Amino acid sequence: MPSKVFHLPFVFLFSLLTLSCDSNLDIKPSQEIDEGTALDNDANIKSVLIGAYANLRKSDLWGGRLLLYSEMLGANNEIRWTGTFTQPREMLNKSILINNTFVTDTWTAANSTINITNNILEAIPKVNEVDQDRVKGEALFIRAVVYFELVKLFGQPYIAGNTDVNPGVPLILTPSRGRENNGIVERYSIEEIYTQIIEDLSIAEQILPDTNGVYASSFTASAVLSRVFLQIGDFASARDAANRSINLALTNGKNLMTNYADAFNNESDSQEDIFTIQVNSQDSENAMQLFYSTPEFGGRDGDVSILNSHLDLYESGDDRLLLFQERAGAIRTNKWRDPNRNVKIIRLAELYLTRAEANFREGTNIGATPLEDLNRIRKRVSLPEKSSVNLENILMERKLELAHEGHILHDIKRTKGFVTDNNDPALKYTFDDPKLVFPIPEREILANSKLIQNPGY
Amino acid sequence: MKSNIFIVLALLYVFPTIGLAQTITIFGKVTSEEDGIGMPGVLISALETGNSTSTNDLGEYRINIKKEAIVTFSSMGYVPQEIVVKRSMELNISLVANLNSLDEIVVVGYGSIHKSALTANISRIEGQDIANIPVPNFQETLQGRLPGVFVADASGKLGDGVKVRIRGTSSISAGNDPLYIIDGIPITSSGSIDNSNPMAMLNMRDIASINVLKDAAAASIYGARGSNGVVVITTNKGFSGKTKFNVGIQRGYSSPTRKKKFLNASQYVALFREAGYNNDLAANKDPINSPEEYPDSQLQFVDNLLDQYAGHSDWRTGDVNTNWQDQAFNSDAGVTNVNFSASGGDDRTKFYFSSAYDKQEGILIRNSLERISGRLNLDHQLSDNFSFGANFSLSSTSTNTLPGDNLFNNPMQLVALAPISPLRDLDGNLYDRPTTIYYNNLIDSENSSWTTSSLRNLNNVYGEVKINKELSFRSEFGLDNITQNDDRYFGSLTATGQSSNGYGSSRWIKITNYTTNNYFTYKPIIQGNHDLEATLGMSYQNSETRFTSVDGREFPLDGLKTINSAAEIVDGTSTLTSSSFLSYFARVNYSLEDKYLLGVSTRYDGSSRFGNSKKYGFFPAGSLGWIISEESFLKGNAYLSFFKLRTSYGLTGNALIGDFDHLGLYEPLPYNLSPGLSPTQIANPNLTWETTKQFDIGLEFGLFEDRISGEIDFYNKTTKDLLLLVPVPATTGFVSQRQNIGEMQNYGFEILLNSINYANKNLIWRSSFNFSRNINRVRSLSKDQTSIPPPYSSYLNGIFIDQPMAVFYGPKYAGVDPDNGDALYYANEDLSETTNDYNSAAKLFLGSPNPDFISGLTNEISYKNIDLLFLLQGVFGNEIYQAAGSYYSNNAYWFDNNTVDQMERWQNPGDITDVPQARLGQCNGCSASSRYISDGSYLRLKTISLAYNFPEKWNNKLKIQDAKIYIIAQNLLTFTKYNGWDPEVGTEALSNSFANANLFQGVDLYSAPQAKTFSIGLDLGF
Repeated sequence: MPSKVFHLPFVFLFSLLTLSCDSNLDIKPSQEIDEGTALDNDANIKSVLIGAYANLRKSDLWGGRLLLYSEMLGANNEIRWTGTFTQPREMLNKSILINNTFVTDTWTAANSTINITNNILEAIPKVNEVDQDRVKGEALFIRAVVYFELVKLFGQPYIAGNTDVNPGVPLILTPSRGRENNGIVERYSIEEIYTQIIEDLSIAEQILPDTNGVYASSFTASAVLSRVFLQIGDFASARDAANRSINLALTNGKNLMTNYADAFNNESDSQEDIFTIQVNSQDSENAMQLFYSTPEFGGRDGDVSILNSHLDLYESGDDRLLLFQERAGAIRTNKWRDPNRNVKIIRLAELYLTRAEANFREGTNIGATPLEDLNRIRKRVSLPEKSSVNLENILMERKLELAHEGHILHDIKRTKGFVTDNNDPALKYTFDDPKLVFPIPEREILANSKLIQNPGY
Repeated sequence: MKSNIFIVLALLYVFPTIGLAQTITIFGKVTSEEDGIGMPGVLISALETGNSTSTNDLGEYRINIKKEAIVTFSSMGYVPQEIVVKRSMELNISLVANLNSLDEIVVVGYGSIHKSALTANISRIEGQDIANIPVPNFQETLQGRLPGVFVADASGKLGDGVKVRIRGTSSISAGNDPLYIIDGIPITSSGSIDNSNPMAMLNMRDIASINVLKDAAAASIYGARGSNGVVVITTNKGFSGKTKFNVGIQRGYSSPTRKKKFLNASQYVALFREAGYNNDLAANKDPINSPEEYPDSQLQFVDNLLDQYAGHSDWRTGDVNTNWQDQAFNSDAGVTNVNFSASGGDDRTKFYFSSAYDKQEGILIRNSLERISGRLNLDHQLSDNFSFGANFSLSSTSTNTLPGDNLFNNPMQLVALAPISPLRDLDGNLYDRPTTIYYNNLIDSENSSWTTSSLRNLNNVYGEVKINKELSFRSEFGLDNITQNDDRYFGSLTATGQSSNGYGSSRWIKITNYTTNNYFTYKPIIQGNHDLEATLGMSYQNSETRFTSVDGREFPLDGLKTINSAAEIVDGTSTLTSSSFLSYFARVNYSLEDKYLLGVSTRYDGSSRFGNSKKYGFFPAGSLGWIISEESFLKGNAYLSFFKLRTSYGLTGNALIGDFDHLGLYEPLPYNLSPGLSPTQIANPNLTWETTKQFDIGLEFGLFEDRISGEIDFYNKTTKDLLLLVPVPATTGFVSQRQNIGEMQNYGFEILLNSINYANKNLIWRSSFNFSRNINRVRSLSKDQTSIPPPYSSYLNGIFIDQPMAVFYGPKYAGVDPDNGDALYYANEDLSETTNDYNSAAKLFLGSPNPDFISGLTNEISYKNIDLLFLLQGVFGNEIYQAAGSYYSNNAYWFDNNTVDQMERWQNPGDITDVPQARLGQCNGCSASSRYISDGSYLRLKTISLAYNFPEKWNNKLKIQDAKIYIIAQNLLTFTKYNGWDPEVGTEALSNSFANANLFQGVDLYSAPQAKTFSIGLDLGF
């Protein structure tokens, strides 16, 4: 047939098209890299460490919400939530739903941050020898602070006792990749979690450099360590850790700001900052500013307002009162006023107050007398110096000095206090009330059969 | 319907029996009503005498008949006309195409086939039926016209997405959108910036036909992308003959279909003061009766806030009563369209050229769409053996875009503002917070701009060679290029730009999608009763998306809006992603004696989106048909003119997932302006297609010479190896992994009925009715997993085994406790106990967002020169969750304006009502529950049009071929019990991923109602 000759070029063309395309099915992503490559050399592992900080700075964690949770659960009829977000409102009303997305997202972000640190810790041998201690110390620091935040929110308070039995959170110290380590892990006891946190921070304090820019240094580790000890009521250790941190920080140029208001709304770390989350216009999220500030400063509608019952706690002439301002129809705190400012995590003032309280409780004067430390704080805010001091003075000073910075709930819990209900002032939630503990997120209970839910949910 | 036919038949038989036999002569021309061209071969027969003749090549005829005989004009594919003739005369007849014709040609993948020989289920509509409908994209015109095709516009916003579901939702975490093919080329149907809809960039007047491939026999030729059905569109082609020009113009006005009623100023004041006072009473204070308790009371708090919200006015006098809802709507909404086309050619070259301008002003403020488009389709027959052609189209679309529904600057959210707040202050400036409760987004109208402009270039070329009489080879190459630019500027007064002296952003996206199809068609000439057609070919597609954006702030003044003027660049990115498909396909259609039909098709598909070990999939399908009416025992049956049974079974796939879901990846994530890396997903090297097995059995029939015809289909679709985002414990560091696991079922039936109820020279009345029932069930999830409960506390959609996808699940509202006004929920499953504690309420299934059935009824009545058409469309049995109900129907929980039904709140012990007591700041029934779920069924007069065709005389005088003046109304009437805005909703704000779009169905969160449009238009042909 003559057509056969005609036929051939098309068959040829057809087969050519067929054969040439197969390799085109192998397309690599342009924005991401393979997990193997990410952890195989010094430079990449250090990038992953930066990534770990980037996860810690997410709004779900130290980007602000961890602070907000403490303020909402510990609102104590001193602040009010008027925003449209229901998640903080559920916390304020002590009626958190098990699918509260803020709670779920924090759990998720915390665990993924832990996983990143575990990946880094496993890859330490591939880091240049001179940097191994620093990288390891920072990873341990991040892992410890995340576990500390988790155990405070998702577990019963340490101070409530029964720490060997009360469940904390799953403890995972090895990396998960692909299907290795399926995450089906039970909740470890409160005691085990705190033991791990203290161990990680102690090592970090030893191997981290004295200063490390905006990243974790030795005095940051000891500062967090002092918080941990204070939380579990080990006042001697808290005192020593705070004292070590203060001394190292002071020798490295840290000091209280002369003017209280200057300690806030800083674009870069002030001399009072022990640790902050770096916020800038490229990476601008600061969840505390978002909810506490007002529209003219780029906040939402002023979702959190300060009530008179809080202002009444201050002595007249207290400079700290100057930070309260009426904006968008209610009283606001200026601590979180400006956009693109760092999130304050630890200020030197906290360490003085920790040292004062711990020294007082232990009857010691390590570093300074409790009165000296207390007056240091009072003097700065133009309050008359006290001539004598009691525990109540120190705790009240701490409450006012650190107000709206995410301390209130944890201080109420460790001092066995109570939270007054916003709607019904007669209703008090005691420090160990299950309603002051987050539920384990519903999605996690469903994904991990070994988890048990917290009481009351 | 049946009775009408009998009346017609009776009348036809009664009239002619009078009169004496006397021979007369009639002559004239028979033309087709559609194009006015003479029809050759029309049979003209006189009933009594039995003499007959046919028209010549020009459509002319002459016949001698007895006086007052019935003369029948008939031609295949046209409605026969019977006329009683009394005297010799010139009688020109125009015949109407019988749309019920079972012998139309339907387009299948890589070819076409006569409908009678089809063994697959394909629904079809003609381009001319939808051309003048005033909507921005062709997808909306499919609503109610095709069985098994569910269409819902996301909202009344212009240029946003349209949900099209063919035979239900088959996937949980992957996409459910059909594959769109235009002139043989798979086109880009998603991925443009934000919620913009790439389909809105196409001129629907260029569409010649839309064929929807529904069952496996039809769709498996598209293999891995056939599971969600395939929409095959062909564009207009030229005809040989005198060049025909068409000009059309249309102008219309739009308004929202429905509005909601909100509190007026005095009701607002009364309700909120009551809410504050109730709190005081609960705390044993009575600030009204004991004025000394007023200071620091909640009532005082409310009064202070009312003072704040009233601005310069005094709420006590009731002078200000702002209707914020009215402010959200544009009073000048409407459509304008001007279109032009020319088509013609000779025996060798044919062309179709068109150009159109469309402008729609949305019913919401700050929302409009403007489109300029052009198309040239060329076909050339070089020799008997070789032909080639090309289709070029270019469109430029510009949209004034609105933000997501959940954002404060969505105009619909203006309804939250207090009616006591005046619009403007005494200086004439718009009020903003703190006088308004939330951001007054009317400021956006004066101080922002947001334009999305797109250029789309959809081209394809083909060449076809007849290698010999039996074998031909066709090669197609198509390029679909979308370039889109999205420029936003929010001025220094807007919420977005307020704290930074303006905020601007500029985004660019370029989506390049090219495809080549190469296939042989073999049609052997076989002696005897066999018919065979075979197709074998390959296809390769590559799609690449490049995106660049930059954000800046600190602008010197609001007049300078481009990023060039931004003192501070705060964000910038550029990304690249791509995917490819390589496929081989084959199909054989065989028929024996034109009665027994067999179809086999298969596709072998490879995609870059899957793991290395599982890149290829195989998708076969087989089908059988039996045209029973061709059998001797039925042939010539007076009533049953056509009867066909067909069945098919086969596999299709779904690959609508991310381009790199199978890899374990780290993404860049900076901190402190230093580059970092952070893991994003777990690897799954075994990731592959989602596979759907579909069985279909159907029958097609024609009655009374096909005056009534129809199709009934039953299908069962089971989707396995779902591309599920399986939740993994967060303790792995991840939340989900894409796995092939789980099963979903869709089964149901479809009925299509077409009838010509009445036809004579002057009056033709046609109806088309369709009814579809789809039952959707999730059959299994991953191992040990029985549900994916609602992920957010403020939404109720969840996924549960043996329940429909996205079923509503949560506390069931039990009304109000008559004793104390508490909101109650059922505490147990058998609804015997109630509780006022939301957290201890029983969680129950509260209804499904999936309709039980959908239906459409089209009636088309032509009387002389007048055509009347109306389409009734209905969706029944679905529920809608008004997510914004907890903000606007919350019995004065916080200061958002409430709907007027909240005035029915509980006030005194013994009150029986559904609205709980107003308590300021206390959520009394405002949490997500069945309180905010209502029946979303609706019946709509979707389209109604009335057209007048100019009579021949006028046309001749005007020296034109034809002309038509018409009025058309879209969404004119809506019947529904839904108490939100419009029951046609989709929450695009939650649809940022396939998984979310599948889950958050039937959710109304400040979604804009649909547009009701009333237009007048003129079409001219010359």
